[in-house]
Amino acid sequence: MSDRRVDDAEPTAVADGGVAEGSAGGQPALDETADEPELDRGLIEAWAAKMISNPDRAYRATFYVATIFFLVTTLFPFYWLLMVALTPRGSLSDVGVLTPGGFNPIAFIEIFQMLPFHRYVFNSFLIATIATVAVLLVGSLAGYVFGRLRFRGRNVLLLAVLVTSFFPPAAFFIPLNRLFNRNVDALRPLISDGSLYNTPYAIFIPLSAIFLPLSIFILMTFYSQIPDGLEDAARVEGTTRLGALFRVIVPLSAPGVATAGVLTFISVYNEYFFSSLMTDGRPGSWAPMLEGILRFQGEFEVLFNLMAAASIVAVLPVAILVIVAQEKIVSGLTSGAVKE
Amino acid sequence: MASVTLEGITKRYEDVTAVDNMNLEIRDGEFVTFVGPSGCGKSTTMETIAGLTLPTEGRIDIGGRDVTNLPPKDRGISMVFQNIALFPHMDVYDNISFGLRLRKYEQEEVDRRVQEAADIVQLEGMMDRMPKEMSGGQRQRVAIARAIVRKPDAFLMDEPLANLDAELKVHMRTQLQRLHRELDTTIIYVTHDQAQAMTMSDRIAVIDTGVLQQVAPPLECYNEPANLFVAGFIGSPAMNFLEGEVVDDGFESEYTNFDFAPATHGVRTGQEITVGVRPEDVYLERDAQKAASPTKAFDAVVDVVEPMGSELFVYLLFDRDVETSAEGRGEGQLLINLSPDAQIAEGDDIRVVMDRKKTHLFDRESGDAITHTLE
Repeated sequence: MSDRRVDDAEPTAVADGGVAEGSAGGQPALDETADEPELDRGLIEAWAAKMISNPDRAYRATFYVATIFFLVTTLFPFYWLLMVALTPRGSLSDVGVLTPGGFNPIAFIEIFQMLPFHRYVFNSFLIATIATVAVLLVGSLAGYVFGRLRFRGRNVLLLAVLVTSFFPPAAFFIPLNRLFNRNVDALRPLISDGSLYNTPYAIFIPLSAIFLPLSIFILMTFYSQIPDGLEDAARVEGTTRLGALFRVIVPLSAPGVATAGVLTFISVYNEYFFSSLMTDGRPGSWAPMLEGILRFQGEFEVLFNLMAAASIVAVLPVAILVIVAQEKIVSGLTSGAVKE
Repeated sequence: MASVTLEGITKRYEDVTAVDNMNLEIRDGEFVTFVGPSGCGKSTTMETIAGLTLPTEGRIDIGGRDVTNLPPKDRGISMVFQNIALFPHMDVYDNISFGLRLRKYEQEEVDRRVQEAADIVQLEGMMDRMPKEMSGGQRQRVAIARAIVRKPDAFLMDEPLANLDAELKVHMRTQLQRLHRELDTTIIYVTHDQAQAMTMSDRIAVIDTGVLQQVAPPLECYNEPANLFVAGFIGSPAMNFLEGEVVDDGFESEYTNFDFAPATHGVRTGQEITVGVRPEDVYLERDAQKAASPTKAFDAVVDVVEPMGSELFVYLLFDRDVETSAEGRGEGQLLINLSPDAQIAEGDDIRVVMDRKKTHLFDRESGDAITHTLE
């Protein structure tokens, strides 16, 4: 009985006018309400409603917000470094947020006059290059074995290799420092006093070891995706397994090798902890650029403008490297999983 | 050019035996095809010959030289792979000359040989193309050129035509035969496609579950299969099998029977045997004179007719009640091969005869052939 009464009442409600706006047109009304709120919503609510009805806009907005945030947080410090570097020594307190406290490009020359800063950069560059070559060589062999061969205990061994990269590097410092400060007779033919302290080995050996697992992992995933047939073909044609690795598998994994190489180079070049502790800080002792930058910090005065200029100069080799290798790295980081 | 000898080759993985005690002698200049269903061990056998895997037991000689433990590069072989396996980062010239350059040949010699190989497989003017810019057939020809350029003692070809489309496959088949004639080199060829095996080989080696079943010229494998496996594997469509037992004066199964003298064929009464007869050796009763020695006629019902153009495949049931199985041709079914003008329709009742001269008997227990013709 009551049902019927409702049925009867409905047409009246529509005819009423006030309600009609919302429910006019029956079903489509639902869509309209989502699009055009008839209630007075706040600005944010209205914006949210718009985003819900048009998710593409939301995605684009999020993309811009994230990108701008990322660019500002990474590039602004660099910009500000430039501002500090350009400020003359006397007016360092005048450095603004966006403007330098003067204009003194001479700082970029001064850093090489006060200290042989180029030597520090060269030391770092050399250490990073040796470490990269060593990591790629050892990492390629290990990556080949883990990626392409099946043997008992493979997973356990791989896990063991990866676990070493989870230790904080500081945990290795004391034993390594003691080892490198000792005079090892076996090394005397190579190094005059038989001690690795104050040699490039003291930095690149531990750093290579620390960054090796990551490279092994990257190279392993790449090498495992090269079809077996290609390796077999190379071996039948006349290479050994090693020959097939370096003539066929490595060239075909170029993006992976570039990625592993650049990551290692940057990591070693930027490394702070071992770099600052494994030498006495003099350029002749193979101290890396980090020590060079710290040297502008005197007992009574910190030459912030020179430190800033030195920092910028120190970044350049890596920046150039990344720009050169950029294409390969990007394809290496993204395409590893779907190659052939 | 060289002979290839396998002596007791066995390859065992942790829990499976992929190749079981294989003995085979391949003569100099011979074209031998390993054929068998997938996973039968034919590719593993080929890999042990190539040296890509080492056999668990046994010995391999190539050209009279023991190569069992030599790496692939020192065996004097070359190989064409199923997935073609051209080096994607090298152009055609570099691909073909890869092996020569590794062996430090003089540049002039390399050029001359590459040119020669490219001529044989008709690859003129493509020397600086990259593999990804070429069609499947062209890539296959580059792979063959890479294999022949070193003038190896033996070629190994592991399903080289498997990834080509049907038309190209037939074309490459004749090309390969021509190549074999021109080069006159030992070729070992692996395929699961018996059409390739039948058409190209001097001899075929039928392999199943890692065991060599029969090594013989193609027609011998077809006409005188050594056992049930070879009989069923070689020939398309496959041989018909009738399971039954020997009675005093012949053979009797659930649906059929015919006469023969058990004693002259060395079978005894009560022995369980399988009779095999190829589709083309069964005739309609009215054509019985075409058979060299017809058996008595059987009643059958036409189940399905497949017109192939040049011939008719007719599936018969011995009885209307026979249950057909989706698994394949079962007991009580018979496939026959008729000329396309045979007036026959599905559902017809017909009478057929088998040719006694072409009837095979197999021992069911061992699967071995007893005879390939009935007296």
